Order: sequence, then C-alpha cells, then structure tokens
Amino acid sequence: MTETHATMTSASGATKSPARGSDLIYWSVAAALAVAGMLITDSYVQHVLILCFLWCMVAAAWDLTLGYAGIFNYAQIALFAAGAYATAMLTLKLGVPPLAAITAATAITALLGLAIALPCLRLQGEYVALFTFSVHLAMPPLIQLAKGWGTGGTMGLLGVPPIKIFGVTLGPMNKIGWYYLALAAAAVSVYVIYFIVLRSRTGRAFVALRDSANFARSLGINEFKYRLLAFTLSALITGFAGALYAHYTSVVTPKILGNEFILLAIVMLAIGGIGRFPGAVLGAFVVTILNELLRDAGTYRLLILGILVVLTLLLLPQGLASLKDRLLRPSGKRKTRNTGE
Amino acid sequence: MEQFFAVLFGGIAQAAVYSIIAVGLSLVYGTARTLNFAYGGLYTTGAYISWVLTVGYLGLPLWLAVLLLIPILFFIGVAIERFMLRPLRRGKNWKVTAMMVTLGLAFVLDNANLILFGAVAKPMPAFIDGTVSIFGVAVSAYRLAVLIIALLIVAALELFLNRTRFGWAVRAVAQDIQGARQVGIDVNRIFSFTFGLSVVLTGCAGLLLSPIFLISPQGGWEPFLKAFVIVVLGGLGSTRGAVAAAFFLGLVEAAVVYELGASWTMPVWLVTLLLVLMIRPQGLLGRGQTEAAG
Repeated sequence: MTETHATMTSASGATKSPARGSDLIYWSVAAALAVAGMLITDSYVQHVLILCFLWCMVAAAWDLTLGYAGIFNYAQIALFAAGAYATAMLTLKLGVPPLAAITAATAITALLGLAIALPCLRLQGEYVALFTFSVHLAMPPLIQLAKGWGTGGTMGLLGVPPIKIFGVTLGPMNKIGWYYLALAAAAVSVYVIYFIVLRSRTGRAFVALRDSANFARSLGINEFKYRLLAFTLSALITGFAGALYAHYTSVVTPKILGNEFILLAIVMLAIGGIGRFPGAVLGAFVVTILNELLRDAGTYRLLILGILVVLTLLLLPQGLASLKDRLLRPSGKRKTRNTGE
Repeated sequence: MEQFFAVLFGGIAQAAVYSIIAVGLSLVYGTARTLNFAYGGLYTTGAYISWVLTVGYLGLPLWLAVLLLIPILFFIGVAIERFMLRPLRRGKNWKVTAMMVTLGLAFVLDNANLILFGAVAKPMPAFIDGTVSIFGVAVSAYRLAVLIIALLIVAALELFLNRTRFGWAVRAVAQDIQGARQVGIDVNRIFSFTFGLSVVLTGCAGLLLSPIFLISPQGGWEPFLKAFVIVVLGGLGSTRGAVAAAFFLGLVEAAVVYELGASWTMPVWLVTLLLVLMIRPQGLLGRGQTEAAG
C-alpha cells in the first residue's frame, strides 16, 4: 500500500468532501430534528419523517457506491429487500428475537453484497450495472420459487414482530419511539459514510478510483479491494435500513422490488445529486415528502416521478447539491450545463 | 419427443428475434457507449404502437402499420438521443447520469403504457395461423415466419454495416470515436442514427413477439436482459456473433422451460449472465478503452 495524499488533490475533482467544521453543523441538524420530534404530535407527519430517515440511509449508502466509488450498482433495492426479508424470516420462521435478527440481517445483507460484488467488480462499468440490475430483476421470481423456505411467495410475510429495547415496545403505533430509533440509525449511518469513511484514506481511494482508475492503480491503490469494501459497506447499511423498515411496517412483500421503490431511490439521487454531500440525504427528504404529497395522484404518481428523474438530470445534472455552487458563483455556469454542440 | 421439438423450435424462433434486439443494443452501446435501460420499455412501446395501429384502434392492415411504425420508432430514437443523452454527454460522470436518465425514461414508458393501456395484457393476432410440418414435426407457422423475418432483418443489417459507406462510418465510430472524428465523420449524426435504428429494431421485435407473449406494460425487461446476455456472449458489434449467441441461449431457454417450467427462465438467464461474465470478464470487447472514452 503506497497510495499517497497526492491522489486526493489531483483526482477528487468535483467531489466536495465535507469540511472539518461541518461536523458541528451536521450534529446540530440531527439535534434539531431530535427536538422537533418532541414538538410534532401529528402521527402522519411522524410517519413521513420516519420514512425520510430510513430512506436517508438507503440513499446515502447508494451514493457511496454509485456517486463516490463510481460503481454502477443497481442492486440497491434488492439489498434493501434482502435485509427486510432476512429479518422477517429469522423472526417469523426461526423465532429469533428482533434485535438479534436485525443484527443478523445486517450481516447477511453485507455478505450478500460481497457475494454480488465478488464476480462483478472485475467487470467493466456497464457490465456491473447490468449484472446488479439483473439481480434486482431476478429476485421476485426467486422469492416465489423459494416459497417453501418461508419467503411467503407473492403474499409476503405479515406480522413481523416489534422491537423491544429497554422494556419499550416499538410497535407500528409507537411513532415517537420509531422516530428516535430511525433518526439515530440514520444520523449514525450517514455520519459513518460521509464523515468517517469518505474522509479517510479509504474514501479518498474510492474517489481516486472513480475519477482516474489507471492513475490510482499506478499509485498502488488496490482497485478490487477498495471497490469490494465500498460495495460491502454500502450493502451493510442498506441491509440495516431494510431490516428496520421490515420491523417498522411489520409487513414484507415482493412489492419492495416493484417499480415504486427503485424509482424513488433513483429520484432521490437524481434530485439530490450524486457524489455531493448532502445531495443524496437532501434528495431522500424531498422525494419522500413529495411522494406522500403525490398520493392522491394515484397511478400517475410513478409517471410523474419518472418524468421528474429525466427532467432533473437534464436541467440540473448535478442535482440540488449544485444549486449552492450555482448561486454562489452565477458567472461560472459553464461547468454545470452544456447545451450540446 | 414431439413436444420437445415444438418447444425447441419455439426457442429457436424467439432466439432469432432476441438477436435483433441484441444487435440494436450492441449498436448503441458500441457507438455511443451508452447502456440504454429504456430499451425494454421501447420494445413494449413498439408493440403497443403497432397494436394501436392495427387491431387496437385504427384497424390498418399490417403492412401499412409496419410502414408507419418504422419512421415513428426511428423518430423516437433520434429524439431521445438528441434531447436526452447528447446534453449529458459532455458533463462530468456522464455515464452514470446517462444510465440514470435512461432508467428514468424506462419507468416513464412503463407507467405511461400502464396508464394508457391498463395492466391487462393485450392480445395481438398472428398474421399466419396453423402449423407447418418440418421433418414430420408440426411447428407453428407463425413461429417459422418470425424466424425467417428475423434472419432477414439480421442479414440486411449485416449488409448495411459491411457494404455501405454509412455502415462503415458506424463501425468506424464503434472502433474509435476520436479517429472517426478526425477523418471527418459527423459522430453526433452517427449516434442519432444508431439510436434511431436500435429503437426501430427493438420496436419491430416487440411487434414480432407480441402474438407469442401478449403485450404488457412491464413485458420489456425480460427481452432487454436477454438481449444483453446475448451481446455479452456474442461479442460487441458482431452481428453474426449475436445470432450465434442468441441461438445458443434460445436452446438453453427451451430446455429450461421444458425441464423446469417457465418460472425458472429469469433465474437461469441470470446464472447464464454470471457465467458468461466470468468467462469473458472484460466484456466482449477486451479493448480496455473505457477510461479514455469516459
């Protein structure tokens, strides 16, 4: 291992790694949300925010692979579903206590991530995309075929038991409890991704490999090892989010793998902007709330979300996170949008 | 045994159509270096448009519908390239954004089709009924016709790519964009053209397969994935390779359906994809140029 700090200055390019002082801002925002939790009494608003927190984890973990490590990973929702299914099957079929099941489900998803990453990370970019997306597409039929092992088939699994910590039962009705659990899980996960991993030498290696793989390799960065690490870590956090989601909603069905969830995740990254903190996290909030507001649109909701992806990518290719830069230096707009030839 | 041959023949006929889809996919991936996730959605859209033109609403005869369908599809493809992909191409990290935009488009098409035509699959009548006897085995006449049409289309493409100046330009761009630009080829025009051509190919494949599979809003994902496995196995830019790979995989699929049942199709294709990628890890190309292109 002879990688140097030179990698970062030369190759990190557009990536804005969070500045040192932003730790304080980050935890202030988290604390503000914690305080807000005490003030919000409407259970629907609480529910939407819980979903926002869980989605933050999914979006941030995806941003780690797709945005920072430059791995074309489209198995994100498949991994989320794996976490949800693992914990549901462990608690319902084997009677494992929820906390142990969530831990196990997180580990299982990380291993699954490793198993997906091992064959495909040696491939060139687009093949990774195709392979991971085909994992996503193959999952619903596999769940159906593995019905005998307790996946519940198309019906899914109902009645995933609530979590019990310190004598408190976190059932679907205990919104306050879930609010703090989800907030804590999201705050820690997002912090680990953006403030610990991506600021470390490992994180700089991810970015260096994304921006200039040959140059990074020539500096002695082990491409395969680092990409494997990024993928596995991302899978771990995604599995954790999936397991929490399963216990929160108490239902796990193959609907997770349907159009809606993957579309939501894509919109989050598209709107937020990939590889730019806090883009993905911001996107998770905006899109989850937007999705709830669009409930009345019925079948048109997914169409609207799809159109939104296309329009944001065309009009604001770097997402919401780039708005700040644009507003700060309006003259430098050359870089952000190219109007073709 | 009789039944096995019928399944086998069905597999071959479908494989021929998959090879058309695969050639279109590999043309776009080869020239514009874009993986088009909306390709399956465009397949379905092509089938729906032909349904609207014929039995659905307008009641046109099939030949007229095909004559209308081809320019419509070509125009759609050119428009996607011109207005959705070209603006992204110069941006940073454009491969990810291009992939996201086509995935977004795929969901737009899926849901638009769902809203317009409903979740119930639409039947499309075959233009030939009955069976034909080959070596004493009765096979569906429609499947035989599909096989012949698909092979003719692939042969025409082969001729176009190898015998015409424009076809040479397409191949030149596929080999080396910079070099093609230097010898005066309008690269953007080639991108638009191949994109349009690929949409025509996938849409026509949708039309050909719709009497066999029916038309449903999400029915395009499976052909898309299959086409990519074929491209990976057959080698990029090689129409003959695509045909050979398509036939091999079509036979595998027929055997799987016969032995295990249709629900195993997707998992088996996934395993095939995995194996193919393990055997040819750098993808079909093995030219290691992606870095320069990105």
